[in-house]
Amino acid sequence: MVIRRLQPLLLIVMLMVIRTGGAQTRPAEGIRSNPPTVWALTNARVHSEPGVQIDKATIIIRDGLIEAVGDNIGIPADAGIIDLSGKTVYAGFIDPWVPVEINAGDNQSILDHWQEKTWAHRQAAAAYDGSNQQYEKLRQLGFTTANLVGDKGIFRGYSGLVNLTEKGQVIDEEPAQIISLERGGWKSKTYPASLMGAIAFVRQTLLDCDWYHEAWKIYQKYPARNSQPQQDLSLAALSSSREAGLPFCFPAAEEQEVLRINRLADEFSLPLIIRGSGYEYRRIDEISQIDARWILPVNFPEAPDVTNPLLARQIPTERLKHWALAPGNIKRMVAKGNAVAVTTDGLGKSEDFHRNLVKLVNNGLDKTAALAALTTEPAAMLNQGERLGRIAPGYHANLTVVDGDYFSKNASVCEVWIGGRRHPIESSQSREFTGRWQMMIGSDSLGLQIDFRDGRYRITVTHDTLRLKGKEISVSENQLNWVMDTEPLALPGWTRYYATRYAGQLEGRAVTEAGQIMTWNAVRMTSPAQAESVPAEQPASPYFVTYPEGAYGFAQIPAVEPVVLVNDATIWTCGPLGIVEGWDALFVDGKLKEIAPAIAYPRGGALIIDGNGKHLTPGIVDCHSHTTCIGVNEGTHSNSAEVRVEDVIDADDIAIYRELAGGVTTINVLHGSANTIGGQNAVLKLRWGSNDQNLIFSAAPPGIKFALGENVKQSNWGDQFTTRYPQTRLGVEQYLTDAFTAAEDYAGEWRRYRRNSRLRKTSIPPRRDLELEALTEVLAGQRLVHCHAYRSDEMLAFMRIAEQFGFRLGTFQHTLEGYKIAERLREHGVGGSSFSDWWAYKFEVYDAIPHNVSLMHEIGASVSVNSDSDELARRLNTEAAKALKYGGMSEEEALKLITINAARQLGIERWVGSLEEGKDADFVIWDASPLSTAARAEQTWIEGRRYFSLEKDAILRQRDRQTRNRFIQQIIAARVKDAQQKGGHGE
Amino acid sequence: MVNRILFWLVLTGLVFANDQIPGPPQSVPILLRGGYLHTVSGPDLADFDILFIDGKITAIDRNLEAFPNYEIHDIRGRHVYPGLIAASTTLGLVEIAAVRATSDYAETGDLNPNIIANRAYNTDSESIPVTRSNGILLAHVTPQSGLIGGQSSLMMLDGWSWEDATLIESVGMHVFWPSIKYQKKNSDSKKKEDPVAEAEARIAEISKLLSDARAYQRALQAEKSGRRIKQQPRDLRLASLQPVIAGRQPLFIHARSAIQIEQAINWTRREGLKMVLVGGHDLYPVMDLLGKYEIPVIIESLQILPLHRHDHYDQVFSLPVALHQAGIRFAISGSASAFEAPHQRNLPFEAAQALPFGLPRDMALRSITLSAAEILGAEERIGSLEVGKDATLIVTDGDILEISTQVIKAWIQGRRVDLDNRHEQLYRKYREKYRQLGELSD
Repeated sequence: MVIRRLQPLLLIVMLMVIRTGGAQTRPAEGIRSNPPTVWALTNARVHSEPGVQIDKATIIIRDGLIEAVGDNIGIPADAGIIDLSGKTVYAGFIDPWVPVEINAGDNQSILDHWQEKTWAHRQAAAAYDGSNQQYEKLRQLGFTTANLVGDKGIFRGYSGLVNLTEKGQVIDEEPAQIISLERGGWKSKTYPASLMGAIAFVRQTLLDCDWYHEAWKIYQKYPARNSQPQQDLSLAALSSSREAGLPFCFPAAEEQEVLRINRLADEFSLPLIIRGSGYEYRRIDEISQIDARWILPVNFPEAPDVTNPLLARQIPTERLKHWALAPGNIKRMVAKGNAVAVTTDGLGKSEDFHRNLVKLVNNGLDKTAALAALTTEPAAMLNQGERLGRIAPGYHANLTVVDGDYFSKNASVCEVWIGGRRHPIESSQSREFTGRWQMMIGSDSLGLQIDFRDGRYRITVTHDTLRLKGKEISVSENQLNWVMDTEPLALPGWTRYYATRYAGQLEGRAVTEAGQIMTWNAVRMTSPAQAESVPAEQPASPYFVTYPEGAYGFAQIPAVEPVVLVNDATIWTCGPLGIVEGWDALFVDGKLKEIAPAIAYPRGGALIIDGNGKHLTPGIVDCHSHTTCIGVNEGTHSNSAEVRVEDVIDADDIAIYRELAGGVTTINVLHGSANTIGGQNAVLKLRWGSNDQNLIFSAAPPGIKFALGENVKQSNWGDQFTTRYPQTRLGVEQYLTDAFTAAEDYAGEWRRYRRNSRLRKTSIPPRRDLELEALTEVLAGQRLVHCHAYRSDEMLAFMRIAEQFGFRLGTFQHTLEGYKIAERLREHGVGGSSFSDWWAYKFEVYDAIPHNVSLMHEIGASVSVNSDSDELARRLNTEAAKALKYGGMSEEEALKLITINAARQLGIERWVGSLEEGKDADFVIWDASPLSTAARAEQTWIEGRRYFSLEKDAILRQRDRQTRNRFIQQIIAARVKDAQQKGGHGE
Repeated sequence: MVNRILFWLVLTGLVFANDQIPGPPQSVPILLRGGYLHTVSGPDLADFDILFIDGKITAIDRNLEAFPNYEIHDIRGRHVYPGLIAASTTLGLVEIAAVRATSDYAETGDLNPNIIANRAYNTDSESIPVTRSNGILLAHVTPQSGLIGGQSSLMMLDGWSWEDATLIESVGMHVFWPSIKYQKKNSDSKKKEDPVAEAEARIAEISKLLSDARAYQRALQAEKSGRRIKQQPRDLRLASLQPVIAGRQPLFIHARSAIQIEQAINWTRREGLKMVLVGGHDLYPVMDLLGKYEIPVIIESLQILPLHRHDHYDQVFSLPVALHQAGIRFAISGSASAFEAPHQRNLPFEAAQALPFGLPRDMALRSITLSAAEILGAEERIGSLEVGKDATLIVTDGDILEISTQVIKAWIQGRRVDLDNRHEQLYRKYREKYRQLGELSD
């Protein structure tokens, strides 16, 4: 098997990298050092695991492991004894997410994956360098163990669980696989540039690793019947990780990404760890249903600067709220039963970790849960629950020794034990010095105040009413130095002071200007002063989120009104009834029940909408939208048929709400037109407040975006984009032919393989290719092609290709020259979805005319009007009205351009697009003819739920204004308090 | 014959100019009889006549006397409006925005006060006949670049050359206020630039230029009166700013966010300059200042998204009614983006976008006629139907603010406007195709 074949090579790589490795095999240099390995730590308060506290306990350590722990333990004769009276001991903390630098340039060998950010075989443990200050900082915070993760890449490889000793003790070099949805951004030329590309790439690669595994298995069994499969370190590593059941860990930048990652992990049954963002509280109920373990940051957002009211207008409401709600995130996640570990990653200053953790506890996070998040949770998620995270026999002798309770403000870590070895903490703060002292020089008694705040020492010496400030202060573990202008003490010039500790006292000397040496000593006046700064506590704010979070979000998703009766309205049915005036419409349980001149319904049994003077229309269907789509183009490859819009829907997009206010209820969200074969589209219902998956119009037939013309041949991209094939319409035509030919071959290969049982047994199976698979669905008539096209020549060419391959195109999007070939469009049966009157913004639309829609309709081609714009989508009704002006279409037909015609083009006319019995209760109430510029949508309903109304909008406006004002007040108060404290230090 | 040749040329794609022929100067008095006159400056007049001679409106009354040499148009049941004014556009300076070779609206560099828009205005642009066929007969054409984009010109949408088509050569100086953005994301970065101060630093470049312009003016005067020995070398930029510093010409300041607008108002007050605000979408918090200092506003497109996620969905749609209620003079224009230059025909619908949100119809009409003329300093000539003004007007079959309405006739200074255009031509051409195929009978 290839995995075995590759192992020697992996070992070589490891040996080359880990020069500090080989603790047991490396020959000794110089004189051997053999410190004792048996210790008894006595008299400590021990938290042997979260929730278990033993006072006056003894811990026995032998050869790097815990031998015993308890309050009634005999001390072995061979043990060194360390008295930890007054100290608290915890199992050594584990940071499950410590980024280490990965050298991306090392990914060039023929064994590496083709994708330049994929190195699933790399082991982050190899990057451990004990001399790096970041590990000393972790030890200062009480961490003994870190799970190292690569800092870049998509398939980042194995994390590495390492004890933070000087040389590093690798506990597990392959505890988890790390995958990130990293992408290059829209300017990038390399795949994937977009989020949807990254997701599609991860999906394909996980399929590939399974295929790779299978291919080698078959090959090794039947080497004479198969050609040798390729070798790939990444695929081999992924496949063995899957075999071993390793957890796969993904960073998720925000709460919606969590849902995306979970779906992806579900497809492959990956055991899941999520490195969260702190935004999980926004969709906590859905997130808590996920079967995952969590790594959460404790990096709370800084209070935004709201001082300038005009500038602060630009801060979104949800960001104001995030400042207040972020510190409660972990508590809520824990309360919902999620397994949570915390990480120091994401903090600007590592010192903030402790302060923020204490803040969490002060805000109600249970200390037991907090300790679990530092010990047992990270151990368990990395499958080390039997070796790490507790103080128990057989566990690693990793201990964190704290002066005081770790979860209190004044605690400080004195030392950590890692693998049975003691590591004193050389903290920048020596607590032995701070406090108030009585200083005796000769017969004089002075006050000495030593403070440590914001990383700096301050010294004040008082004598009667005199206050002198120490300058040039330097502190080491045992010695303190400062200078002071002692003129007021009748000692002219600068006097230099130094002091050392002994037996709880300070023993010092002072050297005067004249070089005279005086001795002094000092005794503590009281316990160390509570001089630490108190961080600005954010005032407790009522916990509420809306769906989506921020402005216009709903506290609750609107319920279905069981019975809705619209009375006496002008009803634009967009169906066989045409336009009827003064009729009634009855909607029951989210469906249209009846339209009739008069419908009687028992008083009180229905929600009545007085339609007098109002117009009732079906909800508008926008056949071309990019609303909610994150990163619209995967424009790197000319074919990206594998990417899926449904993977990247932003359910929080405010455009949803604004479009509802314009009467839109259904949208066709398309990939962009940057490449010939774009990606799979998603048809959505604008169910504002739902999560991404609940926006999807699940009955809609699947589709895919294609594009022709200037965009795909990069005509307007600038001079550096002249090499991607195709660069001409001639090339586009051939590219399409080639792609469909490949799809036919692919389908044929699978057909042969499935039919032939001997083949299935002895030959390597065809590789599943999601890109070609999508095209085979097109060939089979199971996936609608929505093709961006302007010119008649390119439309003719594509129709001919489709006809040759025996399928029918779904729609041409834009179709601005459709009027030139309307009879051919009709004949092929392709729909045309058009702009009403755009033209001349690029050369290929110089012949676009606003009569396009009406002339195509007159010739009998299917035609709709779309927006392709979050802005224009809000006023599609008046866009449709332009067909009245240009070409004289009837009013009834004009409204159909944005309702039933669009629905037919998307294959969803059974449910939406017209007001007919049995269809979805998707409708709009207008205050005037929808084709008049004076019309305003008053209510918009989807499936019997009222998602928008002017009344509701007014209430939300008021609520949001109050919300903003309240949070702004809280933020100002917190900032003022914070500034006062900082200012106070400066004096 | 001429028409046939032109038609043939269009078919073969050999012409680069539009095919509509400018009207000759008005040679006979023209009397429009019995129309519904939207005078804008006064009340609507039902069943009135309007007479124009030598390009000027000479009489508006019932039953005007007609003489035999009069050209008479019976317009009973029709509506007459003053020609609509596109108050902020690059029309004529760009043909196809994506084709760089056709674009002449943005000069390189930050400070281009000496640029004058009408010099490159292409009277043969295909977009011009398309635009005027929906009643837009005038366009305020604006260069757009850097901090000072240059001087705008008010153009009539017909003429053989830009010289013919110019109504006012230099309307005002255009300043594009630097954007002021709150930091977008939560960031840990220590380095925090103050966006307000950054914008002020940019604006200081203009202040310096203005101060140089004032000194330049003194130097030239001294030279003229012989009080200066050494010659002050000529400077096109500084010379072009003289009308601005003398207060004879307004600065059109393009700004959208409230904080930009406030900064701009305070700056122009300190500099003692006349200001017109262009854009203005987020002006609500500073509306009082606009009123107090009588700063008019050109709302540059109502058909744009609100600036902030938490804004009301109709924040922009409702802007005109708010300005109306506050008594602030405003015009409504289409978007001045070069990509929107060909779409200026939708100007009446931009104004109509405010109707559902409470703007009275007469104010919507005024915002694209007389108010625009006033802001552009052309109210003596255009913007309303009044005796003495240019005979720049349109006849329609209905309310110009409704989409279904057709413009039937138009005159610019009494010259008849050809309302045909590239789109109508292509439409006719392809109707002919379907007639030949037997798909259409008419």
